[in-house]
Amino acid sequence: MSRFKRSGGQLLITLADYEEAVLESMVEQLLGLLQGDGVGESSGDSFAQWEAEMAAPSELDTSDPVIARLFPAAYRDDEKAEAEFRRFTEEAQRRTRIEQGQVVLDALLETNAGRDPAVVREADVEAWLKTITAIRLSLAVRLGIETAADAERLEQLDDDEPQAVLYGMFEWLGYFLESMIAKLH
Amino acid sequence: MVYASATQPAVPEGGTVLAERPQDAPVEMITWVTIVWDDPVNLMSYVTHVFMTYFNYSKSKATKLMLQVHNDGKAVVSSGTREAMETDVNAMHAYGLWASLERAE
Repeated sequence: MSRFKRSGGQLLITLADYEEAVLESMVEQLLGLLQGDGVGESSGDSFAQWEAEMAAPSELDTSDPVIARLFPAAYRDDEKAEAEFRRFTEEAQRRTRIEQGQVVLDALLETNAGRDPAVVREADVEAWLKTITAIRLSLAVRLGIETAADAERLEQLDDDEPQAVLYGMFEWLGYFLESMIAKLH
Repeated sequence: MVYASATQPAVPEGGTVLAERPQDAPVEMITWVTIVWDDPVNLMSYVTHVFMTYFNYSKSKATKLMLQVHNDGKAVVSSGTREAMETDVNAMHAYGLWASLERAE
């Protein structure tokens, strides 16, 4: 079970090896989704990646319900204003989310597969909270959680149901977030 | 909101009020609000944390707003110019909260 400890300005999170692996892969999936197909397939060459992004900034696929949830409408009844708002905010919002996910991923990669605690520097706390939340939101969309009743139904699933694993991750990330916040205030 | 011209009194000799207001009040005088909507995913502690961190609200004010979102389905969390509310909504979206802006009633 993961443990959370405050040490000076930092937060230390001790993860089991399988927890670290699962979290790492979920952050990678989020990054892949945000980067759009092809662009994010980390080649290790960040310049090549940057070049590719500049040449063809891939549009966010808002027909994907996960993307729609991560980038919701700011204007509910005004299509024109909404299009304008997106034009001015979406790309920066996406870039920031990618940077924040990368901060979390880097910290996880430095744990030596969970042997050392993950170090969350004070300046990175919001990046962690936002990234974990984004993953919870995407899991919720995939699980079809739209009301409190949906969550209760999933709670009752037998362990061998396919959705039970995904729901287990969703619940674990909730515990993770709750534990982090408890150390902040 | 009251629109008053400093140079031209709106009340003429006869005492009748003239409808000289422009059809729309100047843009900067319209108040907009940021609304956060309830969702079944975000934790109560997280929503409170966001209101405290981003808006610098006290723990009690942030908790009150969070409970209003939870119980009533939505809450007005800030108000101001349209531009300021777009900034707030964008920030709420970055936190994963469901937010929108509209003209204040």
